[in-house]
Amino acid sequence: MAEPDFEAQLTRMFAQAPSFPDAALFNAEVMAKLDRGWAMRRMFIAVAGTGAGLIGAFQIFGSRFSNELAQLSREGSHGLETEINGGWARLTALLSTPSSAEAVWLAAGLAVVALAFAVTRLVEDF
Amino acid sequence: MGMERPPTGHDVELAAQAAAGDRLAYGELVRRHGSTVRGLLRRLGADAATADDLAQDAFMTGFEQVAEFRGEGTFGAWIKKIAARLYLKRVKREARLIFSDTIEPLEEISARDASSDAASRIDLDEALKSLSRGERLCVSLCYGADWSHGEAAEALNIPIGTVKSHVKRGLDKLRAKLARPDEGARREAHG
Repeated sequence: MAEPDFEAQLTRMFAQAPSFPDAALFNAEVMAKLDRGWAMRRMFIAVAGTGAGLIGAFQIFGSRFSNELAQLSREGSHGLETEINGGWARLTALLSTPSSAEAVWLAAGLAVVALAFAVTRLVEDF
Repeated sequence: MGMERPPTGHDVELAAQAAAGDRLAYGELVRRHGSTVRGLLRRLGADAATADDLAQDAFMTGFEQVAEFRGEGTFGAWIKKIAARLYLKRVKREARLIFSDTIEPLEEISARDASSDAASRIDLDEALKSLSRGERLCVSLCYGADWSHGEAAEALNIPIGTVKSHVKRGLDKLRAKLARPDEGARREAHG
């Protein structure tokens, strides 16, 4: 038998799929795995979204709280006002400066995205 | 949702639908190519349980990457490549793949099985048992998974010349095993 003929014959033989009696079960298992993975991913996206929402809520709450505390401090004693204002000034200077605040929350957002990516990969590997 | 729609069409169309998130379309691809992938993994040398695990993993990976399938080749060839890569990864992780030019052949098993029913036709799966692990792997990758010698060499991390020699020796053994009895007799008659 010539070599090319034999190689063609071999390729044809490899291309013939063997018959498996449990083929339907195999297909069902693959689809179940796909469904499971899909469900876990959706759940994770929901959790990540909730986390991001909580971060946003805390940001809003923190912003209002700082304003109220600053207001209270202004109404308090001069010494206390000075102390609190001094501390708050440093903290709010970090968060209230548009670029700094954006950087902080951008970093938080990126951290959430990175965490989401890492967990997704772990889920896939699992 | 189209839940009751029976998926039809060419593999490329189904792959495109799967890339858009249609899992039923992908299920049809699994139905069409599942046995081929399972068979390939067995022919590469995986035991039945491992082959089925890896075949499932291959289809899972395939679903993740199906958007990358553009239809340049067949979907079957594409998914078989994924399965073969996963098998090699598993084998390497388990440190079972030791390549040399003096790999111990599995002649004993083959001879025993063949002699138990010498008159019956020896099929490809049976014939593959007569190959050494390296020969079997290289032949199955190149003829079963449509890998080039270069791709096999790169994946196995061995020189391309070693792949070629494994394939050559493997083909010689397979040719002898798969030759029809009358063909063999004719060759002998011609000297």
